[in-house]
Amino acid sequence: MRRIGSWLILSFRMHRWEVVASAAGVAILAAVMLWFAWQMRTLAATDPECLDPRAYAPGCTQLGQRFYELSSKAEWLSYLSWGTPFGMGLVLGVPLVSREIEQRTASIAWTLSRSRVRWLVQRVAFLALVLIGLLLVIAIAGEVLASAQMPSLHLDRDFAWYGRRGGLIVVRGLASLGIGVLVGAWLGRVMPALLVAAFASVLIFSGISLGMDRWMEGDAVAQPFDADRAGGRQLGQRVLLPSGELIDNAELQRRGLSYEAIVNDQLYAKPEDIGHLGRLIGYDRYLVVPGSLYSQIALRESGVVGATALLLALASAVLVGRRRPG
Amino acid sequence: MNAEQPVLEAHALAKRYGRRTWALTGIDLAIPQGGITALVGPNAAGKSTLIKTWIGFERPTRGGVTVAGIDPWKDRSGVLAVTGYVPQSPALYDGLTVADHVDLAVQLRPTFDRAYARQRLDELGIPADQGAKSLSGGQQAQVALALALGTRARILLLDEPLASLDPLARREFLHVLTDAVRSDGATALLSSHIVTDVEQACDRLVVLGVGKVLLHDTVAAGLASHWIATDGAAAPGGEAIGSFAGPGSERLTLIRHAVAVAAANLRAATLEEVVLGYLASGRGKPGEAAA
Repeated sequence: MRRIGSWLILSFRMHRWEVVASAAGVAILAAVMLWFAWQMRTLAATDPECLDPRAYAPGCTQLGQRFYELSSKAEWLSYLSWGTPFGMGLVLGVPLVSREIEQRTASIAWTLSRSRVRWLVQRVAFLALVLIGLLLVIAIAGEVLASAQMPSLHLDRDFAWYGRRGGLIVVRGLASLGIGVLVGAWLGRVMPALLVAAFASVLIFSGISLGMDRWMEGDAVAQPFDADRAGGRQLGQRVLLPSGELIDNAELQRRGLSYEAIVNDQLYAKPEDIGHLGRLIGYDRYLVVPGSLYSQIALRESGVVGATALLLALASAVLVGRRRPG
Repeated sequence: MNAEQPVLEAHALAKRYGRRTWALTGIDLAIPQGGITALVGPNAAGKSTLIKTWIGFERPTRGGVTVAGIDPWKDRSGVLAVTGYVPQSPALYDGLTVADHVDLAVQLRPTFDRAYARQRLDELGIPADQGAKSLSGGQQAQVALALALGTRARILLLDEPLASLDPLARREFLHVLTDAVRSDGATALLSSHIVTDVEQACDRLVVLGVGKVLLHDTVAAGLASHWIATDGAAAPGGEAIGSFAGPGSERLTLIRHAVAVAAANLRAATLEEVVLGYLASGRGKPGEAAA
């Protein structure tokens, strides 16, 4: 226990500013999110009928307007909760090795410790614990805010605010931490590493996002324009050919099929073709992942992002093992 | 390990940075167990590179090194188990106190002798609760030395720890080092370009110039076998090593002679003159192995 206590205290002192700044940022953001959630819940409790979009209740204008104002600000807050794991992961991760190299403390640490990997694990473990703890607060605050803003939705079966609430926030933070540690170890300078890591984060997370969309296509269903897509996640538009084949616009163009007229989801090459089913190119469809798959998809993406974080940690360990200390 | 067996060895060691810059150009060196060996040379002579190769921070381009018979690039952990290291400028963690540094060392190396390190620091009057940031340069160097000594390593590698210290701090540092090495029976390699300091503390001397070893001998033997000739005097049977400007701008020549010689314009060389003579011999001829 004493060793663990000593490890926690020393690790905190070595990362005091990043940890305090991150904790303060999270405390403020979570407090504001929960305050908005509480305000919206209070309004909703005043007269629940006023917030039912399917019903018009007279005398609800003022309450509805106030709810709408809070709701739009809550939307902005949700984007902050989306960005927090990326920013915090880099702020905590980049200095871990790069500052040791920049301030030349690595040469002492790497000769006192007989294993650099062990040294890295000790340091990363502390920051990962801090990150998990802080991001869990944001993840939960995101869920609370989302349920207050969308009281009629079943959020466990809805893609609303995807990545802006729930466990994915925590896992994204860990992957971001991994990017920060790796780039910091590679460049050995804090500021340049911070910039490069931010750029690398955009590339890596965009890549993951595109990959996940591709993967989700297998779970998606093609729906007509006017179908109820509540809770679902729209992946894009597709064209359903009369043969039953579902293709995207790029494939449509490759086949030399273009349309200039759309009537009731029906695509025709020219306006004069409208109504002639024999000249029908196809039907306009939306590719939608049903909301019922939300938990499964979120878990799947968490797994992919978590595996990426592990790979980054492994690459960092290899790099630190081979690197000069300054 | 056999007492006669060298603890630090380099075999045809060459190290290149980038495509063209050779820091070391064929070092053959064997430093025996015990005592303090001074590694002396001008800036860019390759002193730091040689030490960093032994500690496993640099990979040899050609040749190899061993520490207590272990190749640091193949078994870095094995080398670190028997080695303590004091870097060129002792960079400590700004946010930690002196006591925190000792605690950190214990955390990083479970066998670290906390009591020994604390005792060394207490003897020097360095407060355990003082922040590393507020320590003087000399105190920082002493903390770095205490951390290296606390490892209880048999071999200490000190990479120019005296460079930024004032004379009093240098003297204190060397006093602590010699005391520790002699009481523990350790072997220390101290790189420096301040020859007067070396003379006080070291038993052996290695002169390194532009990537090669120019001299390797005990300090006593080095002093006994070298002479200074002024005005072009010669010592029959002696070997002229190199010429350099004296304090009065006269030309001095270092001569190696196995036996004492008595001649006009010939006197015993000081250690600084021995070093200067060898450095003058190696100047402008990189790549040649002089020793």
